[in-house]
Amino acid sequence: MKRHVLVMLMMVLAVIATACASDDATTDDSSEGAAVETTDAPEDDVATEEEPAEEEATEEEAATDATEDDAAAEPTEDAPVARADADLVIWADETRVQALEPFVEQFGVDNGITVALQELEFDEIRSQFSTAAPAGEGPDIIVGAHDWLGELVTNGLVAPIDLANAGEYAEVAIDAMTYDGQLYGVPYAIENIALVRNTDLVPDAPATFEELEQIALDLQSSGDVEIGLALQADAADPYHNYPLFTAFGASVFAVNDDGTYNPDELGLDTPEGLAAAEQFGAWVESGLINPSITYDVMVDSFASGNAAFAITGPWAVSQEDPPGFRAQGVNYAVSPIPSIQGGTPEPFVGVQGLMISSFSEQGLLAQTFVQDFIGTEEVQLALFEAGGRPPALLAAFDQVADDPDVQGFGESGQNGAPLPAIPEMGSVWTAWTDAYELIYDQQGTPTENFQAAADQIRNLIAEG
Amino acid sequence: MSGFVERVAGGASPLGVLLRISVLGLVVYQAVVFTGTLVGEQAWVGLAAMWAATVALVWLFTRRGHTPLKFIVPGTLFLLVFQIYPVLYTGYVSLTNFGTGNVLDKAGAIEQLQAQATRVPTDAVRYDVAVFADPDAGEDPGVEGIGLLLTDPDEQVFFGTAEELVPLEDLPDVTLEDDRVVAVGAYERLSLVEAQAVQTALGQLRVPAEAGAIQLQSLTTAARAETTRTYDEERDVLVDTGTGVEYTPLDGNFVSDDGDVLQPGWVAVTGPGNYTRAFTSPLIRGPFLRVFAWNYGFAIGSVFLTFALGLGLALALNEPRLRSRRLYRSLLVIPYALPSFLTALVWAGLLNTEFGAVNELIGANIPWLNDPVWAKVSILLVNLWLGFPYMFLVCTGALQAIPADMLEAASVDGANAWQKFARITLPNLMITVAPLLIASFAFNFNNFNTVYLVTRGGPPIQGAQTPAGHTDILVSYVYRIAFESGRGADYGFAAAIAVLIFVMVAGISAYSFRYTRSLEEIA
Repeated sequence: MKRHVLVMLMMVLAVIATACASDDATTDDSSEGAAVETTDAPEDDVATEEEPAEEEATEEEAATDATEDDAAAEPTEDAPVARADADLVIWADETRVQALEPFVEQFGVDNGITVALQELEFDEIRSQFSTAAPAGEGPDIIVGAHDWLGELVTNGLVAPIDLANAGEYAEVAIDAMTYDGQLYGVPYAIENIALVRNTDLVPDAPATFEELEQIALDLQSSGDVEIGLALQADAADPYHNYPLFTAFGASVFAVNDDGTYNPDELGLDTPEGLAAAEQFGAWVESGLINPSITYDVMVDSFASGNAAFAITGPWAVSQEDPPGFRAQGVNYAVSPIPSIQGGTPEPFVGVQGLMISSFSEQGLLAQTFVQDFIGTEEVQLALFEAGGRPPALLAAFDQVADDPDVQGFGESGQNGAPLPAIPEMGSVWTAWTDAYELIYDQQGTPTENFQAAADQIRNLIAEG
Repeated sequence: MSGFVERVAGGASPLGVLLRISVLGLVVYQAVVFTGTLVGEQAWVGLAAMWAATVALVWLFTRRGHTPLKFIVPGTLFLLVFQIYPVLYTGYVSLTNFGTGNVLDKAGAIEQLQAQATRVPTDAVRYDVAVFADPDAGEDPGVEGIGLLLTDPDEQVFFGTAEELVPLEDLPDVTLEDDRVVAVGAYERLSLVEAQAVQTALGQLRVPAEAGAIQLQSLTTAARAETTRTYDEERDVLVDTGTGVEYTPLDGNFVSDDGDVLQPGWVAVTGPGNYTRAFTSPLIRGPFLRVFAWNYGFAIGSVFLTFALGLGLALALNEPRLRSRRLYRSLLVIPYALPSFLTALVWAGLLNTEFGAVNELIGANIPWLNDPVWAKVSILLVNLWLGFPYMFLVCTGALQAIPADMLEAASVDGANAWQKFARITLPNLMITVAPLLIASFAFNFNNFNTVYLVTRGGPPIQGAQTPAGHTDILVSYVYRIAFESGRGADYGFAAAIAVLIFVMVAGISAYSFRYTRSLEEIA
């Protein structure tokens, strides 16, 4: 009897705690007295994180990646992050936290303040930020990708930034961080995918995609490799398939004269888009593109010499745990994806940067941090070391321009176009992924599947 | 006082008293802690409710007797907080436009609309800044008590306050220290750390300049900025000063006469629009019936399969002639003991067509997750694996409760094993188990985890009007629409669908419970 009373009382305690916290979705008490330099957010304990967080750098992965790791970050299961008790709070993913830590500490010492770096999974940053910021529990600064801007600006969650020395950054980086004529982030890195080949198996870069296909299929059928071409596109993701789509002259949305995307004109079911779909179906049939290759399989097979080619980004190259291409010591070279039937593949270019919460009570200090501090060569190079992505600051970029990986990815990116940040892009990913998946499963014709996806996307955009 | 202590003690053991006091103390402590938060948020209703509950609890548990109340009150609080409140809150959200573009309150949205329209013109001069404050103005000098030393790129130096901007050389009273300005009149230079302390005032400071005002862009830089939007509080309109267009509030957004909608908006109650949308939208109508049918198939199939297997195993292990029954029983509970979240993910990997262990093991090439039919089979199998130990435990327990003499009597009457099972064991079992089967059905009806983690609803339905998969159930389908396929999150719409699903499940449960009651009467 006594024990029952006790148990019930404890339950009541929980009830009251929850009752009070449920309004603002965050509990206060967990952060009390946590004036520490680095605090780990609770959900980092999810030990299943296998892909490097940067793999999730782009919106489509948030929407479509069916890998184990992504699902582990499934929102319904998460406890929200509480704001650490420091003057300036920064949210970044694991890689960026490690790179930024010494500099952030220095900034704190210089200015006599405490700075807390809180670690979250890359995509968690955006979703948690959207809930926490309006509740006053969010960070002052987030480290994120430019294609978040559509959503964040529409929600009024990020503050404009004035950058006096914008000319010192790569133009594409500043353009990407600009939304509706206003700059919202200080860029630190540019990323895109490219072709990586095993130089022991394929000493020279193929001149055309047709040649690549021949080499890959030959190596595959002779048994030298298990996988000819490892395309990082589990869950059939359109981000990694995009260069194979644009090579036919197609684009996800029509592009206006000023380089912005026009959401009223969808490019999926244009003749070019449908030609790309048909060719994609042919590659699946010929066995060049294998639908069962997940991100982990791609990294593993290429790093262990069981794949001749991979189409992926710098993250797979520089990944440490599990070891990526460089860490495994496989001989590789990076180059642009060769032309397909004479057309140039244009990958999506993504830009990473720091953004300031419009709810920050330390707005000016946060502005000082991102303007003066992140724009230094030292910090940009440290971030490059950590993530393998070319720096956005030109002076820093010049210092690493000799790096063959930077050259390879950079060359590929020069053909590319920025990943659209318009909110309509959110309507694209799921439907388009489904279309690719149906092609993978060889159900219906590729043309039918793309046409259906285009109809779905128009429906979704019309609904808002 | 001693009477109070006695009452609290209530004749219990010292340890019990100590525990009771400390737990009650914790309850009060929590209430005190949250008072600050709730006052800060001006959540007066929540505050009153919390203190009412706290006082009631302390009163109740420092009192002798009232045993039934002591059980009922905490349970009722539990019910209120975890069941009633979420349902009501979901109902409220379903009547709003809460979602991407509308997450702020109105004041916040107006502030952001103005901040977004505040721009530093491309030709604007950027100044390096040092912050000065008037020590007489105290710790919080306000806008009036601060000044800025502004250095432009040509090394020209100005001093700016809220009133005026003057070249430094025109000021009579400038104190230098090693060529560094340390004081201007009554104003003294602040270090960065000190400047931070007054940053609220700094953020509000506008130094008048030609065509606009100079404002801080960070603690060390400033520039002339112009805003193109002003809010007229009296008329509640937002005016674009560039074009003169006026925006009036409509359903949580400022909208111009031409229908131009400004983002961000704010959370506003918009009425039953989300519900009408649920019934009229092509998004829902599209593959809705297929999803709905499979939802039933999935829930019924899961309950039936897990129950059949669980019961079968329970019957087998209930057989006294079987050796090491304890060991088997322990082993069977393993799938139940592992977190389903992880096992579902592991199964998704095992079922990979090409690299999965299942296909390798049986030497087949079955498209477990990629074929519409196989995907459904896979989902049911995974759910069977996850669910049968529960049914096994339930049935084992229920079997023990069936009086052995009934079965003996049946044997004496010459009934065979099947007759005994069908006429005695199963009906008796159902009395205990039927409500649990209904609960299991309701649970599986909304079993988002299994579906989402194993197949993500895929493979896609070809040619559907909206993205939907063959194994999508209502919850996962709604999740897709509300969070993955639009322009971001749409909480209002998702809440409306959640309410509809709630009504559906509640209806099924209510009907089923009446049905079980009739079952009991027969028995």
